[in-house]
Amino acid sequence: MKRAAPLILALLSAGCSGIQSADGRDGIEGALIGNLFDVFLWTTVAVYLCVLGYLAFAVWRGRGHRRAQAGLQGEPQPESERKWRIGLIVFSGATALILAGLTIATWLTDRALAKAELASPIEIEIIGNQWWWEVRYQDPVASRIVRTANELHLPVGRNARITLKSNDVIHSLWVPNLAGKQDLIPGRISDLVLHPQRTGVFRAQCAEFCGLQHAKMALDVTVESEAEFGRWKAAQLAPPPIPTGSEALAGYNLFLNRQCSSCHNVAGTPASGQVAPDLSHVASRRTIAAGTLPTAHAALGAWVADPQAIKPGNNMPKVPLTPAELRAVTAYLETLK
Amino acid sequence: MSSRSRLSILPLTLVLVGCDREARDYRSLALQSHEPANAFGGNAYHLAQGQRLYGWMNCAGCHAHGGGGMGPPLRDDEWRYGGNMEQMVATILDGRPNGMPAFRDRITEDQAWQLATYVRSLSARTRQDMLAGRADEPANVEPPVLDERKPVRRVTPKQDDATEE
Amino acid sequence: MKNGANRWLLAVLAVLILIVVIGAIVLGAPDRRPDPVFGDKADSLAEVPQAASRARSPSWYEAPRENAWTMQLGDPSGSRFSPLSDISAANVNSLEVAFTFDTHNERGHEAAPLVVGDTMFVTTPYPNDVYALDLTTPRPTVKWHYQPVPLHASQGVACCDVVNRGAAYEGGRLFFNTLDGQTIALDTASGGELWRTKLAEINKGETITMAPLVAEGRVLVGTSGGEFGVRGSLTALDAGSGAVVWKAYSTGPDTDVLIGPEFEPFYAQDKGEDLGVHTWNPEGWKIGGGNPWGWISYDPELHMIYYGTGNPGPWNPNQRPGDNKWTAGLFARDVRTGQARWFYQSSPHDLFDYDDVNESILVDMPFHGEMRKVLVRPARTGFFLVIDRETGQVLSADPYAHVNSARRVDLVTGRPEVNPEKMPKPGRVTRNICPAAPGGKDWNPSTFSPRTGLVYIPHLNLCMDEGEVEANYIAGTPFLGADARMFAGPGGHRGVFTAWDPVARRPVWRIREDLPLWSGALATGGDVVFYGTLDGWFKAVDARSGKLLWRHRLSSGIIGMPMTYRGPDGRQYVAIFAGVGGWSGAIVSGALDPADPTSALGFVNAMGDLIHRTEPGGKLYVFALPA
Repeated sequence: MKRAAPLILALLSAGCSGIQSADGRDGIEGALIGNLFDVFLWTTVAVYLCVLGYLAFAVWRGRGHRRAQAGLQGEPQPESERKWRIGLIVFSGATALILAGLTIATWLTDRALAKAELASPIEIEIIGNQWWWEVRYQDPVASRIVRTANELHLPVGRNARITLKSNDVIHSLWVPNLAGKQDLIPGRISDLVLHPQRTGVFRAQCAEFCGLQHAKMALDVTVESEAEFGRWKAAQLAPPPIPTGSEALAGYNLFLNRQCSSCHNVAGTPASGQVAPDLSHVASRRTIAAGTLPTAHAALGAWVADPQAIKPGNNMPKVPLTPAELRAVTAYLETLK
Repeated sequence: MSSRSRLSILPLTLVLVGCDREARDYRSLALQSHEPANAFGGNAYHLAQGQRLYGWMNCAGCHAHGGGGMGPPLRDDEWRYGGNMEQMVATILDGRPNGMPAFRDRITEDQAWQLATYVRSLSARTRQDMLAGRADEPANVEPPVLDERKPVRRVTPKQDDATEE
Repeated sequence: MKNGANRWLLAVLAVLILIVVIGAIVLGAPDRRPDPVFGDKADSLAEVPQAASRARSPSWYEAPRENAWTMQLGDPSGSRFSPLSDISAANVNSLEVAFTFDTHNERGHEAAPLVVGDTMFVTTPYPNDVYALDLTTPRPTVKWHYQPVPLHASQGVACCDVVNRGAAYEGGRLFFNTLDGQTIALDTASGGELWRTKLAEINKGETITMAPLVAEGRVLVGTSGGEFGVRGSLTALDAGSGAVVWKAYSTGPDTDVLIGPEFEPFYAQDKGEDLGVHTWNPEGWKIGGGNPWGWISYDPELHMIYYGTGNPGPWNPNQRPGDNKWTAGLFARDVRTGQARWFYQSSPHDLFDYDDVNESILVDMPFHGEMRKVLVRPARTGFFLVIDRETGQVLSADPYAHVNSARRVDLVTGRPEVNPEKMPKPGRVTRNICPAAPGGKDWNPSTFSPRTGLVYIPHLNLCMDEGEVEANYIAGTPFLGADARMFAGPGGHRGVFTAWDPVARRPVWRIREDLPLWSGALATGGDVVFYGTLDGWFKAVDARSGKLLWRHRLSSGIIGMPMTYRGPDGRQYVAIFAGVGGWSGAIVSGALDPADPTSALGFVNAMGDLIHRTEPGGKLYVFALPA
């Protein structure tokens, strides 16, 4: 037990740190809920200590009391009865007051969340699929709409209103550092407002069981300065160039003529499949396959070679490729920055 | 009941519950079997994947939900190019002369078998307990749970179609 | 006391049971009202306009020669009117079959035959054979028979049956298109091939079904394939050599769409640079549709052609945000250079497959006191549009069919006010959208009679439920993203034949038909109007009152266009193709399964009874008065 204690402590606090911190207060919404959490936490700690204290006192006092009463047949004394009654009223009253206070605190937080300032928000649409996220940045000029997958970039200090839709089953978007969960329900449109306050990298997770690979459906969230965000968006709008190196070019031709283009889209090429993640700038993302693997040469190759071994049951089939073809396709994917 | 016998019932129950569970074949091992038709044709997971692919690969665009349109209906007994699984897989992969496109390099071979499994279910050739009551994607039509095969309705006399070369 | 209470209870119970039983009998009783009979009579709604307040043929209009019918719409203004008056309202009821010609082709026959002097030219659906018939013999003989042998695989990328809408004749040459995308010119004397030019690639889902138009030495040909994500284009070929003179795309940058300094659209939303790119999601225009597969009209005075572009791809509008220019709209171009002059989009960010390829009939008509050069068109959206053909301004837009998908067309901005209830939502089915995807009227052309000033519209009364799914693009396969299911609109009749007054902006009379009308119409100088039904009835009605004067049952449903000519023996003949098919008749010509309501892009749900009412089989019927 003694050896297990630090391990248990470490596990318990794992959810409260780093890029996927449930206690994260890096966004206004997250901060509001965090404050409410603090109120609840300290109130209940105080109540708990009081109760424990009284229990200890009662146990300590009760030892003498029992010995004294052992010989008597219990008959209630009017005086102690009055004391009991007062005590009960006081404690019930205090409990009611505390609960009312917590309710009011919750209501105030809810109100603040609902009234979250929506001046010139960035409009984003996230569509949940099994088991990846499609992310679209809306724009009044249709040709400036950015379509990407499994990554979300936000400028710090600005509102983002995210419209949530689903193409198949119920998912839920949860960016622990920034805000609470919001479901993506097929046939309905819900929304989530984020107002990040701190730059950094965060990890979001699907929070509603959605099938075989629900556990490997993460979203990479990057909060950056306004200028960097603008640069990223502009880079997303520019189609990747056709590769010139011979291996990458061979991979490009394979991509177009084999199964890849049936599902995936790469801007600037005839590959216009819509049902799988957009790969136009896949090499510039930090992770692939919805946060399953880092974007590194070996990982890309392993994923293309056998996605079913890494994420069994996901909708990308194992495409039979010779080793040379695999190297070519991987080389091509790495040019898609 | 003694606690020992109570303990032994628990693993027994767990084992029994796991008995009838169908194996999900993600690695397409069925392709390597002697009888892929049976391995794919009797597997509900492959049928469900076939149902998903039927929409994704635009089969529904020509064949609707089995009723046909640009392509012939798939719910009846008439198969111009053969109705068993191997023939259907060949139709899907290689295409056919009168307009069926070839999907050989657009889907993998196991996906073609999954599609053939689903197409067979449209004409009531698969076990009823394999049919998905509902697909994962929201559907605009009721699930095709045909319990008896439709008779062939031949209104158009056989015309001068291209023959196999 | 207890007994009394019990008695009251029993009485109340008995009364309740009596009410329920009576109600069940009354409500469950079969409807004894007689079924309405459609197609037999016309509802009279207004007066035929007086001469002064009537639309008339354009000032440059010349009636076609009596012994010739050289283009599908009859003349460049698109009127489908013949001044021949031997057959009149008085004697049409004695019309009889003069001869027939069997094409031995079981698909949908949408074309009309052409006649030049002694010879009749007949085109068929895939495999697009052409016959020349000698009209001087009592039973016409085949002078020559040309077989273009199009690619078999083209049958797989034809959305709405493997139809062909006919040929065009000019200067001893016959021009027509094949399903696999070739335009062919034949020498009419010998049937020899003069040239053929390939304009479409079937592996990308491109086909050609439309009838070409010949104007100023150019043969104008538009592609089909809006259901396949094909980027549409209209090409002008040199009539002598078949070389490409100009090619105008329907989406993309201005240089591809031939939008230049001459382009002066009337409405603000059509002004801007590269709108064919910026009103689409990135690269959406490359697979954006806009195929001009319908009718082209020509004004020789202004040197302008008018044609509409088809639906944007995919059907699912959420995948292509923006107005999706230049799809689902009407272009006016200079026929010599192809440069666009103006454009009007009848369905911006189209939600319901409202292609804008219907015919534009060029007329001159009084508008607010002064004569204007306009074009009139019953659009797919269900609105009858009157548009100034010099500027592109919409003068009036009134519903000629039942419409709930849009409330009205705002004449200041030109935009239809889309009904938000009918907008498609992802993951849900939107119910009862009127008109359905084929619109208030599909491709089948109406006719204009300058004698009455009325436009005679054979059209539809269909509504639909539509649900969206995600569309995936794979070249050569359908790019749709929607399931539809059509059914009869209010009233229960699926087709309507309307006589519309474009000046007064209202119908004059209307015939309700049981089945959708998919045939063209013909108006003649004898004040007779001809059209055909999907179960094979070829009808002649009075041009002024709509009264049914004559009808004849043909061997197959009618989706063709009637035409008339004076034969070598001096008699007037009326010709029409029987041969059910097309989008509405696909359930018969394709042997589709009525148990799946989404078949044939939803049409099968509305046409289950057609399989019992007609059979496929192409046959040309030619009628005349008894000798």
